[in-house]
Amino acid sequence: MMRRGARWLAAHDRVRAWGLLAPGTLWLLAFFVLPVAIMGAYSAMERGLYGGVEPGFSLASYARFFDPLYLRILGRTLWLAALTTLLCVVIGYPVAYAIAGAGRWKHALLFLVVLPFWTSFLVRTYAIMFLLRDSGLVNSALLALGLIDEPLTLLYTPGAVLAGLVYGYLPFMVLPVYASLEKLDPALLEAAESLGARPVAGFLRVTLPLSLPGLVAGSLLVFIPSLGAFLTPDLLGGARQVMIGNLVQQQFGAGRDWPFGSAASFILMALVLAVVYVFLHRGAGALPEEVE
Amino acid sequence: MSQGATLTPAVRFTRVCKRFGETVAVDGVSFDVAGGEFFSILGPSGCGKTTTLRMLAGFERPDAGEILLHGERIDELPPWERPLAMVFQSYALFPHLSVARNVAFGLERRKLPRAEIDARVRSALELVRLDPGVFGRRSPRQLSGGQRQRVALARALVLEPPVLLLDEPLGALDRKLRKEMQAELRALNRELGTTFVYVTHDQEEALAMSDRVAVMAEARIEQVGTPAEVYERPRTAFVAGFLGDANVFEADSGRTVVVRPERMRLLRPGSAVPDGLSSRQGEIRDLVYLGDREHAIVGVGPVDFRVALRDPDRFEGETWRRGDAVVVAWRPDDAHPLEGA
Repeated sequence: MMRRGARWLAAHDRVRAWGLLAPGTLWLLAFFVLPVAIMGAYSAMERGLYGGVEPGFSLASYARFFDPLYLRILGRTLWLAALTTLLCVVIGYPVAYAIAGAGRWKHALLFLVVLPFWTSFLVRTYAIMFLLRDSGLVNSALLALGLIDEPLTLLYTPGAVLAGLVYGYLPFMVLPVYASLEKLDPALLEAAESLGARPVAGFLRVTLPLSLPGLVAGSLLVFIPSLGAFLTPDLLGGARQVMIGNLVQQQFGAGRDWPFGSAASFILMALVLAVVYVFLHRGAGALPEEVE
Repeated sequence: MSQGATLTPAVRFTRVCKRFGETVAVDGVSFDVAGGEFFSILGPSGCGKTTTLRMLAGFERPDAGEILLHGERIDELPPWERPLAMVFQSYALFPHLSVARNVAFGLERRKLPRAEIDARVRSALELVRLDPGVFGRRSPRQLSGGQRQRVALARALVLEPPVLLLDEPLGALDRKLRKEMQAELRALNRELGTTFVYVTHDQEEALAMSDRVAVMAEARIEQVGTPAEVYERPRTAFVAGFLGDANVFEADSGRTVVVRPERMRLLRPGSAVPDGLSSRQGEIRDLVYLGDREHAIVGVGPVDFRVALRDPDRFEGETWRRGDAVVVAWRPDDAHPLEGA
């Protein structure tokens, strides 16, 4: 029976393909496409008195977003996400490079990179608060060393948000960059050296361009969730470092303005799509190089 | 030492050693390669031939000994400062660069003017018989194995290196293409006057292409000589066996000797053994058909002899069958004594 079923499936490629795709497709339809469609509809409706929406059509929520207050939040969000990505590249690339060349320590080091995932992000973010608050470890140490006379304001600053975001998303940069460096054939670098390339030239001409796909993937994996972050700015940034994620959360919560929350979400989504398009376009355009 | 420029070897290894941890990869290897020579290092995998080549290229540093290039010590130099070029087993073409940019890579590192680079890239591609107009802009991914091989060769030759290193460059090609490339490499070696140091585990390839062959086994060089020397007069049982079929046995003199199958012939028992030939009595255990020739496996006491059957035997109407009692005969000067056996 089993074998006959297996043979029938093997002979019916389409049935098999749909069978494999169905669970994921249904899941995404129910929990992604449908909610997004609902949000899209909400964003163009009127606000209900106690949350929810009233029927009708209005683009007022979108128009409202162009208030300087919200544009500043958008600007801050973009700036923090870009800076987070840049710092993750600067910190993460050397780490990935070192791990890829670490021989038998590779697996142990990769394990360390993903180790933070074993505890909840919330707990880890609280731990950073303990580190950065006025009576926290950093200030205590600096005071004890006599380097400062009174505690520095570390928490609830853009720097604190940035530190939290970089910390949280660094593994998403390290892992794809590592994957692309790991695939690199060591003979390519030897070929470059035997053709007269010093190590720096070998890195710039061979290693870096060939790890670009990993770098692009890592940058997307860091930049996109940074754009939508709300936990980190909420806990480490406080009321003055609001990002778009916090704005959306407020509108659906205390603000009770579901259409505006939905509109802000859609604007965020449009931004993400634009960034992905530009990244993939330019990332793909970088290879292969052509001569004139 | 210095006997004038013409006698300075292009490459000289003097008692070079290399170990990786507990493993001795290269153990006191010495040899000279003359300028313009096609020199092969032949041996089974793990014999140290690739490590020897990598030390010459500069990817490994010898633990002891000296490596000289045209009389100058190079073993302390990093690879990018050695006037050598290398063709890799995997070709190691840069997948993100076009064919022309691959070939231009070394010239660009030397900061030559663009016009000169372009001209030299074109002539290098033409040298390996790839049309620059057709292939220049292609990605290496779009090429066949044989074409990639040619690009790798052009990328190395464009630098006009005095010495070209080749690490099993034909291993991935099919038999027919391999033969063609063998002939082309040999022709390039002659035309350009470049010294070729060629590493391979294929004894047929080494014999067909080389001016001289160094046979390596277990981190040491067993013998260096012309193809005819190492094949006809192997010094050790290993060389005898690695270069082809060999009958290694104890001669009447008490010494261990080797006789190649094609240097032996079969006679019917009772027929007169020609004057001066050595002979043994035996029985045909098996006949092995090899396409261009046939071997008889003849049991002589406890040992098996391999005897090549000649075409004339057939013209003379001789048909050998399994189980035939035979006499194996050979000329004593075709029996070469082996060392240390």
